[in-house]
Amino acid sequence: MFLQQLINGLTVGSVYALIALGYTMVYGILGLINFAHGEIYMTGAYLGVIFFGIFTVMGLTAKSLTLSIILTFILSIVYSSAYGYTIEKIAYRPLRHAPRLSPLITALGVSIFLQNYVMLSQGAKDKVFPTILSGGFTIGNATVSNLQIFIMVTSVVLMVLLHLFITKTRIGTAMRATAQDKKMASLLGINVDNVISATFIIGSGLAAAGGMMIAMHYGLINFYMGYVAGLKAFTAAVLGGIGNIPGAMLGGIVLGLVEALGAGYISSEYKDVFAFGILILVLLFKPSGLLGENLQEKV
Amino acid sequence: MPESSYFKILSVLILITLPLFGCKKGEEPVANVIKIGTAGPMTGDQSAFGQDQQNGVKLAVEEWNLKGGVLGKKIELVVGDDQHDPKQAVSVANKMVNDGVAGMVGHFNSSCSIPASKIYNEQKIPMITHGSTNPQLTEQNFKGIFRVCGRDDQQGKKAAELVINELKAKSVAILHDKTTYGQGLADEFRKGVEGQVKVTYHGGLTQGDKDFSAALTNVKTGNPDLIYFGGIYPEGGLLVKQSRALGIKAPLMSGDGVIGEEFLNIAGADAEGTYATFAPDVNKIPSAAGFVRTYTKKHGKPGPYSVYAYVAANILLHGIKDANSADGEKISEAIHKIKYDGALGSIEFDEKGDVKMSPYVIWQVKGGKWEQISK
Amino acid sequence: MKRVLFDMLTYLLIPLWFVLLTLPFLGISGSIKLGAVLLVCSAFIKIVETQYIASLPNILENRVERIKNRAKKIDGRLNMGVMLLILVLLPFTLNRYSIDIAIIAGIYIVLALGLNIVVGLAGLLALGYIAFYAVGAYTFALLSTQYHVSFWTALPIGGLLAAVFGLLLGAPTLRLRGDYLAIVTLGFGEITRIILNNWDALTGGPNGVMDIGRPEIFGYRFNTPAAFYYLILIMAIITATVVKRLNESRIGRAWVAIREDEVAAEAMGIDTTKMKLLAFSLGAAIAGIAGVFYAAKMSFVSPESFTFLESIIILCMVVIGGIGSIPGVILGAVVLIVLPETLREFQDYRMLVFGASMVIMMIFRPQGLLGSSARRMELEPVDERALGHEDESLYDIKKGERLE
Repeated sequence: MFLQQLINGLTVGSVYALIALGYTMVYGILGLINFAHGEIYMTGAYLGVIFFGIFTVMGLTAKSLTLSIILTFILSIVYSSAYGYTIEKIAYRPLRHAPRLSPLITALGVSIFLQNYVMLSQGAKDKVFPTILSGGFTIGNATVSNLQIFIMVTSVVLMVLLHLFITKTRIGTAMRATAQDKKMASLLGINVDNVISATFIIGSGLAAAGGMMIAMHYGLINFYMGYVAGLKAFTAAVLGGIGNIPGAMLGGIVLGLVEALGAGYISSEYKDVFAFGILILVLLFKPSGLLGENLQEKV
Repeated sequence: MPESSYFKILSVLILITLPLFGCKKGEEPVANVIKIGTAGPMTGDQSAFGQDQQNGVKLAVEEWNLKGGVLGKKIELVVGDDQHDPKQAVSVANKMVNDGVAGMVGHFNSSCSIPASKIYNEQKIPMITHGSTNPQLTEQNFKGIFRVCGRDDQQGKKAAELVINELKAKSVAILHDKTTYGQGLADEFRKGVEGQVKVTYHGGLTQGDKDFSAALTNVKTGNPDLIYFGGIYPEGGLLVKQSRALGIKAPLMSGDGVIGEEFLNIAGADAEGTYATFAPDVNKIPSAAGFVRTYTKKHGKPGPYSVYAYVAANILLHGIKDANSADGEKISEAIHKIKYDGALGSIEFDEKGDVKMSPYVIWQVKGGKWEQISK
Repeated sequence: MKRVLFDMLTYLLIPLWFVLLTLPFLGISGSIKLGAVLLVCSAFIKIVETQYIASLPNILENRVERIKNRAKKIDGRLNMGVMLLILVLLPFTLNRYSIDIAIIAGIYIVLALGLNIVVGLAGLLALGYIAFYAVGAYTFALLSTQYHVSFWTALPIGGLLAAVFGLLLGAPTLRLRGDYLAIVTLGFGEITRIILNNWDALTGGPNGVMDIGRPEIFGYRFNTPAAFYYLILIMAIITATVVKRLNESRIGRAWVAIREDEVAAEAMGIDTTKMKLLAFSLGAAIAGIAGVFYAAKMSFVSPESFTFLESIIILCMVVIGGIGSIPGVILGAVVLIVLPETLREFQDYRMLVFGASMVIMMIFRPQGLLGSSARRMELEPVDERALGHEDESLYDIKKGERLE
């Protein structure tokens, strides 16, 4: 029972973490809550269904399931990154020097737009992702499906890759520098615009991967799925300390676990209350989040 | 202070904008047209239902217009979008009043139908809902408010009877999606089985959520013979799927919200054996065959509520025809007298506006298809 | 020549980019159609000259300034009385539906003015404002159906209770800065809605509360749209006056000081905690009062009316209208209520257009429709200060590490 809830929580938590990374990276650099990020996750899931459908029709799936899954993943991530990049260029870049609440409004506008764009083009009905990678095994009296393992492993791999990217590559270093001090970074010859674009591209790609995996896991997607997921992922990002990458990962996992255990042991009706409740509690005792540093205000 | 001057200008602005959109149309009804309205969640997260409804009503109107309309006039359909928000439902209702509709089909959600029904009742416009199953709607005893669908209490009772008498289940777990519809259904079902069947678990889920493993893990510990779910197909489909993944063998039973292709697509092979209470099979009623054929040709497969919307529109138009007038009170009276034979079988209304016969029969998924298994 | 070719290429590339982008969603024919439309548009932009487009914000700015100036001129001729008279006569010229929209706009004007105290004046980003509105609405709903309390008694009670909630939430959380406060209030808003939906014994759960009493005065029962219109008109005028007076008072100046620089404000002897709490509870009280009115007008409340999206819409009204400016906030509320209604003509496309217009509006007037220049100076620049206290780096660059 406890083990089962633990596994349930970890699965959901690792997807929250993937989406939360996008929030946290954008926030770290732009100080912007990118409310459209949840919609990118939704777009990614839709693209997954669409591309997988195309491959199935083409007969690729029948020939090699693994190849078609990998191709679907790559295409969907590339496409979603392109969406993220475009959104940044259209909706956020012109507002770089605007009052700070203005980009928040464009983010919401983009979010409403994308939801309706997908609804109108793909229909309002739920889309079904065919069951693949079925089967699983039991540990004690808990059931673990292969997909759950797949989700957890992929998430960890992606996060490790991101970590390496941020710490080891040139552009990763530029990202950190920009997050720390934009003006200084640009004085040192870093093209801040490119760094911001890269941030959106990477964050969107991760969200799309999360969306794809959710589509595979639950087998059901709809055009409004990004809203709740985005809200939860944002919560996870703040929980871990917004702007902090390991924090977002930790926040996602903690949030998933709290939800699963709270819903399992106390009441499933109040599932979301536990998620937001734990957030409020953590912030009250450690206002900068679990891993965020408590910076003193500069006077 | 500049603020005060803006304030005045602003008021002028407000003044200018309001009449602009307010008086655009509907000042006086065009003589040669009879308008009927339909309102529901046309956009937003429940738009799938709204679109089904709109298509069903449209089809009915088109058919009537082909036959020459009603009272010798063409029928014009006014579509309203309430986004399943009670506040917008009231706005839409007022807009319908303005547009001078003779009658309404809708709204879909009980939480919208209830506040909107007050407006229609005040203005004596008959309203036939095709999907609001909350008993409270007709318990208001408004004269012109009808529904062609059943009530949650009838449906829950029917399901409970089946569980006790036929399936002879010893224990059930009850879940619902915490909406007016789902919770009402689950509560009525519980009332029906209380004392005769052991309830191992009773809990709510969040509509729109995808992960029910936490609640299902609890269901699993109780090891029930059957899971009853009050709610609609996305959650229903995921519930079956996830319960099988967790190793729960008990079949699922639910209400009319899970009927339809969507549920089967979502749940896949796991759907097999699922029970549902619903109206008699449209495909088995000869008079409905035409509906299914034309609907499929025009808009694709009918959704679970397309038929209800279609029938509701037909009854409304018959009412207008029988009353021989576009006057709301007369139409309501005529509808009360109607005995309509159509795609949903024979329909008559009681004095509250509910259908007289309990319209529910039992369905089950067999060989990947929904089939009617009881009379 | 090279230049021209390059130009042409970019104008071709942009539509092509969108064709590729929308291909999986719209299908081949759909995306090509879109591409064609974009091609025509970009050709048009080329012809009209990019310079004009680039200067559009400035042109718009001038327009708005001109309207403002004209407003000042008309001001001399038009006095408050005439204005009021027009507003009072309004219901006689409008149909039922328009009056209903006017009432809803009125409710949102009150709400947006209340949120403006919190966000615009005190600079506290709150994303769960709808919770206070819900508290007010449910207060009256329950008092009316359970104890037959009249509207007029419930009005202050609803406001007071919402203010108490504001204090309860504000006291522990207001020391959080910026976006942390935003997310905590967001969480609070969601928790409130979930509790309303689940506490069946008290709130009726998803069924909501029905048959809430209508206001009565000297035996006259409010049941026509016009009656509610007058009621909300009076409430909106009172709220606007209160907010305006507050804005110009010591308290208002203290709020602005806190918003601009909290440390400096504290050094100047302003009790920042007290002032922030005051702003929070005052904003909450106004929302509570609006909630009572909403319950009375609908005579039905259910948790569906108090979603996160509503909080967001109210915030949009404040920002789109022009943060901190009272006429701006009023205009923002009217625009955001009227726009989706006028867009009903677009039917299924209306929310798509709505989302796009929010983006466009902000790109062309980031300071809001009637954002005043003084406020703009106060709010800008975003880069250094806004990020100043929270720019925790993605990773700390260790001392001596090379940016290579």
